[in-house]
Amino acid sequence: MEILKELETIAKQNVNTTLESARSNGKKIMGYFCSYVPEEVIHAAGFIPYRMRAVESPGTSLGDTYFAPSICSFVRHCFSKALNGDFDFLDGVIFMNGCDHNRRMHDNWRYAKIKPEFLYMLPVPHVVSDASTQKYMNEIKKLARAMETEFDVTITARALEDAIILYNKKRDLLTRIYENRKKKEVPIKGSEFLSIMLAITALPIDIAIEKLELVLKGLEGRVVSSDDDLRLFMAAVCTEEIEHMELIENSGGIVVADKICLGRSHFHTLVELKDDPIRAIAKRYLTHLSCPRMMDDMRRRMAYMHDEIKEYNVDAIIVEKLEFCTLMAGETFLYKNEAGKIDFPILSLDRELFGGGTGQIKTRVQAFFEQVRNIKEMSQN
Amino acid sequence: MIAAGCDIGSLTAKAVIIRDGSIVSKKIIRVKETALKSAETVMSMVTSEAGLKMEDIDSCCTTGYGRYDIPFSDMNKSQISCHGLGAFWLDRSIRTIIDIGGQDCKAVAVGENGMVKDFIMNEKCAAGTGRSLEILAKTIGIELEELGPVSLKSKKEVELANKCSIFMELDVIQHLYNKTKIRDIANAINTAVARRVVQLSKAVRLENDICITGGVSKNIGVVNKLEEMLKIKFKQLPEDPQLMGAMGAAVFAAKIN
Ligand code: SF4
Repeated sequence: MEILKELETIAKQNVNTTLESARSNGKKIMGYFCSYVPEEVIHAAGFIPYRMRAVESPGTSLGDTYFAPSICSFVRHCFSKALNGDFDFLDGVIFMNGCDHNRRMHDNWRYAKIKPEFLYMLPVPHVVSDASTQKYMNEIKKLARAMETEFDVTITARALEDAIILYNKKRDLLTRIYENRKKKEVPIKGSEFLSIMLAITALPIDIAIEKLELVLKGLEGRVVSSDDDLRLFMAAVCTEEIEHMELIENSGGIVVADKICLGRSHFHTLVELKDDPIRAIAKRYLTHLSCPRMMDDMRRRMAYMHDEIKEYNVDAIIVEKLEFCTLMAGETFLYKNEAGKIDFPILSLDRELFGGGTGQIKTRVQAFFEQVRNIKEMSQN
Repeated sequence: MIAAGCDIGSLTAKAVIIRDGSIVSKKIIRVKETALKSAETVMSMVTSEAGLKMEDIDSCCTTGYGRYDIPFSDMNKSQISCHGLGAFWLDRSIRTIIDIGGQDCKAVAVGENGMVKDFIMNEKCAAGTGRSLEILAKTIGIELEELGPVSLKSKKEVELANKCSIFMELDVIQHLYNKTKIRDIANAINTAVARRVVQLSKAVRLENDICITGGVSKNIGVVNKLEEMLKIKFKQLPEDPQLMGAMGAAVFAAKIN
């Protein structure tokens, strides 16, 4: 499908031509980390939100001079890119307290005095309650004020409401594309879905919506799975290598459901616009399919896994942790434990982002698939 | 039916030919510059030993790190499944296989059909692999093959404190400076490698009978240490345990499991 090829090209670039031409026409671009930074607010301030990524990283050597080796490779790649000037096209970057590794990146970015100048840390609560929603609303308002002051713009309630409509439309389209994977004959691969996610988080929202509509249309009658492909649920956080996902799928599987930051977590739950748009945004971002950073929400995340296994007819789980990722370390344990309770096959991979070692990963994945097929055959007999 | 299994590992390439359910030839060589060259060389040796030509092979299965893109291969299977099936085919009582190869180490549990039930494999780290033994043997100036027998003469326990192979090497150098006897350092090296393997194997249920495969199975020092630490006795296989990957691949190719 032509549109998927186009999106894959965009996904593999740090900065695409659409962004470049928008920029040369005077449009401002705001980088952001993590699924807890509200894109609607960035859009309402007149910026194109750009999800920060390690794609096209020159390697971690520049970042390694600022960080201990026990900082995850996503952070070391991103910071290397910043030092290399790869994010100079941005007008600002919004960080959030997702994990300590990311927070240290914010510290070092300031310390190294590198571009862009506008760096903002958005503190997002770790629990969901009335008080934390109120706190989050206040923080979103502070962020809005900071952008208004720095860039001399005004964020109106009307602009926020318009943004909510647009971003909800994107969420709805992504959900419909994602749900196509429930089909027995799957019309889209996990690697293609990841390409879509990388591309649309680096495009202006109106263009992203156009592209998603084309993708959705193109899925009609399309089949990319084969009968003996194992249907996989994949859980990870900062995973963004298309080639890695292809490696897994080329070993005889197809990712049909996920719990990845650049996957379901990004578009799960719509913003319910009732009265105050800031309240509506705060509620959605705080209560959407949660990231392992959120405390007291593990049960809901594990229930999500069980539901996806059933709804998407999953054969096996792959859970991935980037080395030293503290959040996924705990989460991997939970997944294994949950899978163990229902005797469900699970493989955990511990690796570095863009870190090579494909020989070992291939062997592990292939052996896992052989094991799952054997178990399936035995139970059928 | 004539079936071949070809295991192209990181240090050695192995091949086995099975004719109508019996092994007719087998070979182990040091790897060549490319996986293809290793595969071609070992296969030409093993076929000529059996008095066969490549065209006589009905089915060939490749395994090991070089298992892909071998033109004469009809299928490829992971080393994990092949070691499991190879050992099981030779001895149907085998349920757990500890395989220590050149660049990885794994514990494999197989079911009553010889297929993988569960497995664990080391992450990217080289500690606990044949490669780290090779480097450490070189550091103390002895051949890899001598590491086992030399270590058996050890009279004094010395420790390698570090778990990482790079730092282990520094520990070894420190012992050399301190004039620690080579046999005692050799023993410490085998103990350190065995300890890594023990940690890893705990992740699968070690069901009896248990055997050891892969190149390191020839190091009597590591084997003894493993038996001691795991409180088990390895079942002896009727064939060279280093051949188990190729053996399993041949069984897959022959579809006689
Ligand atoms: S991979 Fe883990 S440690 Fe690294 S930024 Fe993501 S959540 Fe944080």
